[in-house]
Amino acid sequence: MKQQSAKIGVREYVSIAVLMVGTKATEDTPANLYSHVQNAAWMIPLLSAGFFFIPLYLLIKTMSLYEGKDLFSVIKKILGKYLGFMVCLVIFIINSFAVSFDTRTYTNIIRSFYFTTTPTLIIYAILMFICAYGAKKGLQHIGSVSYLIVFYAVVSLYVALWLGTKHANINSMFPLWGSGAFVLVKEGAQKVTIFADFFLLTMVLPYLKSNKAFKKGTWFSYIYICIQISMSILIFVCMFDESLGGTAYPFHTLIRYISLGQYIPNVEIIFFIIWIMAAFIRFTAFLYINALMFGNLFKIKDFEYLIPSLATIYLMLGFIPEAPINVSLQFKPIIWSTVGPMFAGISILLWLVALIRGEFKHAKNKNTM
Amino acid sequence: MQKTKTLCRLLLFFLMVCLLSGCWDREELEDKAYVIGLGLDRSKDKDKIKITMLLANPEVGSMQGGGGSTEKPREIITFDANDFIAAKATANSIISRNISYELLRIFVVSEEFARDSSFSTAFTDVLKDKEIRLNSYIAVSKEKASQYFMNNKPRMETRPHKYFQFMVSHGIENGLIPDSNLFRYFQTAERGSDLFLAMYTTAKRQKDPEIKREDEYTAGELNATGELDDTQFIGSAVFKSGVMFATLTGQETRTINILDDTTDIKDILVNIPDPFSDNKKQFAARIMKTENNKIKMNLKGITPKIFITIPLQIEIMSNPSMVNFAKQKNQHIIKKHIANHFEKGNIKLLKKTQTELKGIPYPLPVYSKKYFATIQEYKKFNWVKAYPRADIHVKVDIKMVDYGNRTRNAKRLGE
Repeated sequence: MKQQSAKIGVREYVSIAVLMVGTKATEDTPANLYSHVQNAAWMIPLLSAGFFFIPLYLLIKTMSLYEGKDLFSVIKKILGKYLGFMVCLVIFIINSFAVSFDTRTYTNIIRSFYFTTTPTLIIYAILMFICAYGAKKGLQHIGSVSYLIVFYAVVSLYVALWLGTKHANINSMFPLWGSGAFVLVKEGAQKVTIFADFFLLTMVLPYLKSNKAFKKGTWFSYIYICIQISMSILIFVCMFDESLGGTAYPFHTLIRYISLGQYIPNVEIIFFIIWIMAAFIRFTAFLYINALMFGNLFKIKDFEYLIPSLATIYLMLGFIPEAPINVSLQFKPIIWSTVGPMFAGISILLWLVALIRGEFKHAKNKNTM
Repeated sequence: MQKTKTLCRLLLFFLMVCLLSGCWDREELEDKAYVIGLGLDRSKDKDKIKITMLLANPEVGSMQGGGGSTEKPREIITFDANDFIAAKATANSIISRNISYELLRIFVVSEEFARDSSFSTAFTDVLKDKEIRLNSYIAVSKEKASQYFMNNKPRMETRPHKYFQFMVSHGIENGLIPDSNLFRYFQTAERGSDLFLAMYTTAKRQKDPEIKREDEYTAGELNATGELDDTQFIGSAVFKSGVMFATLTGQETRTINILDDTTDIKDILVNIPDPFSDNKKQFAARIMKTENNKIKMNLKGITPKIFITIPLQIEIMSNPSMVNFAKQKNQHIIKKHIANHFEKGNIKLLKKTQTELKGIPYPLPVYSKKYFATIQEYKKFNWVKAYPRADIHVKVDIKMVDYGNRTRNAKRLGE
């Protein structure tokens, strides 16, 4: 199998990004944001996107110095062997926790809305098994599958939201500033975690056809996703009004509420199937990236064989919280408040070090020669 | 090598087939008993509630039955329980199949229980059950809910799920009952600034009710005779913080439904006093509401001022005093008269809500949100206290769609 040499194009890359980040509006993120800033929650994705733009721009600029190198190689090159290794290890570990608690959240959603009597462990194990199987197939497979379903995922999301607007009242989005402009900016800065996945996506840069494709794909999906998440949250706010604070998973409550006329009243299963496929892709991509990191850290060439064991470890990690409420109230806030700012910090640090060491000048000289 | 690979793949497929059944959540249609209506009453025991389950028989009316089945379309059981979630298990000692709330359409609460302060806490359990959908309706019955289901014997629509679906959705379209589903109930409870209206129903006709105008009745007051079911859905029960405390007639409910943009009313047929007749004749008209109301507010100062403009489209259906509407003057008169009529009705109702109910019967505070910059300011305004002293102006914008066919009275002999 010559998977290593296979590369993915812009459209596959964009679809992976859309499925990885765009699905955030369909889990507990809206409720989480609402509990902090009330009805101005829809502004947070826009603000966070604004805040995260600078680190991401600097990171991509720094990365472009090293044509065809992934994030970890660049970190090691810039920060040196030992410090670089430490930074990479921290990224890997934090990301591992993020993946395990995210998968647990999805398991909770599936269990509480659709498979109410099946034990959590079984649902979780099946989810991880499918993701591990997909991830082992390699990035090219992930890319083509996501390109296949991204259209359905996006369309079904819009159809669900459109049906939701029939029960929405636009006036619920006011008072415009929610609980105050200052709180808004503060939360916006903290919630850059929404877009932290773009930081991780720089790991797959060597598998893209060109550097230019990577840049184009990243910015396109970045802008699109920020609009999509913001719009979904706005519709949730307008529909649920003040009861959004008590609705843990608004998307799923919404699809259980809406109906296609009188004749087809209960339609959630249509949306659920597409949603779960998107979720599979999301974690497949996550698993793959994590395996890629691990392989890079410890210089393992055939890192694809690590995926099943990594998936098992994440399963065990994600199983530590006893009940869904512990996940969203104890464990996730820690991840939420650290990941984004930390990744932003690392990106800026990389750029600064590269600037001080004069890497940009070197590159310029090289080009002129 | 190739053979083992194929074998492995085949085994994998077989394994996946096992998963398809849905693991522990495997459900057999044959094995399910679907509860369509759930009645809630106060029990003799203080801590308990009385639960009535209306179960539908899926075999009746389905094509496969071919009409050969002689089973009854429904089954009703009543018993005392702690809450309606654990009651599912208790009910299994009577019902042979597995009880499911998956297709639950309507909650019927007796007025006695709805007026009890313990109702709102008992009812919050709805959110805890994963099978109950938020689009099921809540209705208040005049009598005990257990009696309500027993007395409700639809003649034509014997399948209970269809009966309640049609009854409720047409009632909402006519505006005679409010669109009171669970979603709106909890939304209102969470908002805490306005009142919630639930549909009012009864399966017991009043003895010798008086004759009123077409929509001024509440449930049970309409004197219909013939071969029919006694159940009536008209009017509404008013809830303040989750507990009922008043009722509204069908006409008042309709007025509120026209004021409230969040409900779906279709075209409504009403009678309006005829301005051209001397002996209190009324003409029939069709009202259509296609646009949203325009609401403007001035919330500074002690008395908040609220200006509501209601756009209505009117089609005149009858012409008892035989007016010639081709004349501009008559068109003008009738337009003004209709606008006046609706404005008066709205003002009267809103005055009633300000003085008697002391609360806003529909989510009006939501429209005020844009006049505030932050949540804190909005909360400080405190609608509950401000509403009774508010100065409300209602203006009705009439657009005439049609003045009706030009007809003449039959000529009397000798004229």
